[in-house]
Amino acid sequence: MKSYFGTYHQPGAGPVESTVLVFDKMISIGYSKTDGSNQMLQWPLKDLTITTERSGDCTLLRHLQMQGELRINGTEAATHIQSLQEELQKPWIKRSSGRDWIRSTMVFLGIAGLLVLVYLLIVPWLSEKLASKVPAATEREMGDAVYNAMGMDTKEDKASSAVLNEFFKAMNIPSRYDIRISVVDDGVINAFALPGGRIVVYKPLLMQIRSYPELAALLSHEFTHINERHATKRIFRSLGSRIFISLLFGKFGAVTNVLVSQAENLKHLQYSRNLEKEADMEGLRILMERKIDPAGFTDLFKHLKNAAPGSALPEFLGSHPDTDKRMEYIQKAAPGAEIKEIEKLSAIFDQLKNTL
Amino acid sequence: MIITTTSIIEGKPVQEYLGIINAQSIIGANIFKDIFAGLRDVFGGRSKTYERVLEEAKEDALRELTQKAQAMGANGILAVDLDFETVGGSMLMVIATGTAVRI
Repeated sequence: MKSYFGTYHQPGAGPVESTVLVFDKMISIGYSKTDGSNQMLQWPLKDLTITTERSGDCTLLRHLQMQGELRINGTEAATHIQSLQEELQKPWIKRSSGRDWIRSTMVFLGIAGLLVLVYLLIVPWLSEKLASKVPAATEREMGDAVYNAMGMDTKEDKASSAVLNEFFKAMNIPSRYDIRISVVDDGVINAFALPGGRIVVYKPLLMQIRSYPELAALLSHEFTHINERHATKRIFRSLGSRIFISLLFGKFGAVTNVLVSQAENLKHLQYSRNLEKEADMEGLRILMERKIDPAGFTDLFKHLKNAAPGSALPEFLGSHPDTDKRMEYIQKAAPGAEIKEIEKLSAIFDQLKNTL
Repeated sequence: MIITTTSIIEGKPVQEYLGIINAQSIIGANIFKDIFAGLRDVFGGRSKTYERVLEEAKEDALRELTQKAQAMGANGILAVDLDFETVGGSMLMVIATGTAVRI
């Protein structure tokens, strides 16, 4: 905005001193009438005709439809208003504001694309790289700390645990980790793996398992979580993403933080589902390599589904894939699997059932 | 319209004091500008995005102040004072205050 002093020649009256404000699309003329009251006129730039006096020291402005004339000393006002009128006549895209907008949008899209690439590719890659550098001993310490903090050691059924460890050893799965399985006497139908080699199986789940392939499926799934360092990767991925996001959005208001944090949670859940699928598929490979019936997986999933029939969340909110989908991809991946009865595993399984 | 931070204008005595006027402009730098500014905060350097937003807020406040003065029949604003604040964490506020006069 620019302002000038001018003289407004009112229709049917004498000239009065006025202040003139020039905006992007109009001018505003303020003056005092003879009765002392203030008057303001607003003339759109597109309706203005601009002339300069021959002497070159005065700008004359007239409205196309309205009477009256505005005189401003000097020609600077004429030049300025003419340039504004020219700008208004251009299509939006060619105006300086339009060009600025387009340039800013392009720069934004470029940087936003780069940040998305960093978030989706570089951060996960770097996080997993770092996770792979964590020594097995540290993972073991982490896992033991969590195990003790959860008070699992006090609830452990030592007799069943010993038989279950024997069962796992009989499966002959090579690993750099010392796998230690604990049967915990608690009212949950579940099992989970901790980093560094601990697998926790709840007794009610064991009681539902009816065949050794089912148990082998459960242990091979949990073993894969440990062997592929899923828990450690998950921690590093979450840490990496959160650091990156807090750098970008950390100074924002509470609403933005909640939205970003929930979006990040959903993405993390998706990652978790991918790891679960990886554990299923690798577990299936372990079973098939040992000629153990892959139906153990589908039976296990059926038990898990029956254990909580009404609590199914939509898949995108779950840390595990939908149970029906899990059964489906396992069945697709296992046709024609060679199966043979492994008496040793069957015998240990029977022994385990007797301890429960 | 003469707009000045001084309380007098050299050679132009005030004929009439019309009153104190003020105008404010509160601008939210949008989420994208906040991202750029956040990056600038991490890597250091001047944040042109926030500087432009601040400049825009200042222009808006002064424009509104001038319009108010004109509506009062003033042709000058003396002792203009600009205050800069943040509102709600990341919104920028500029308050322009001055005395509308006829000189």
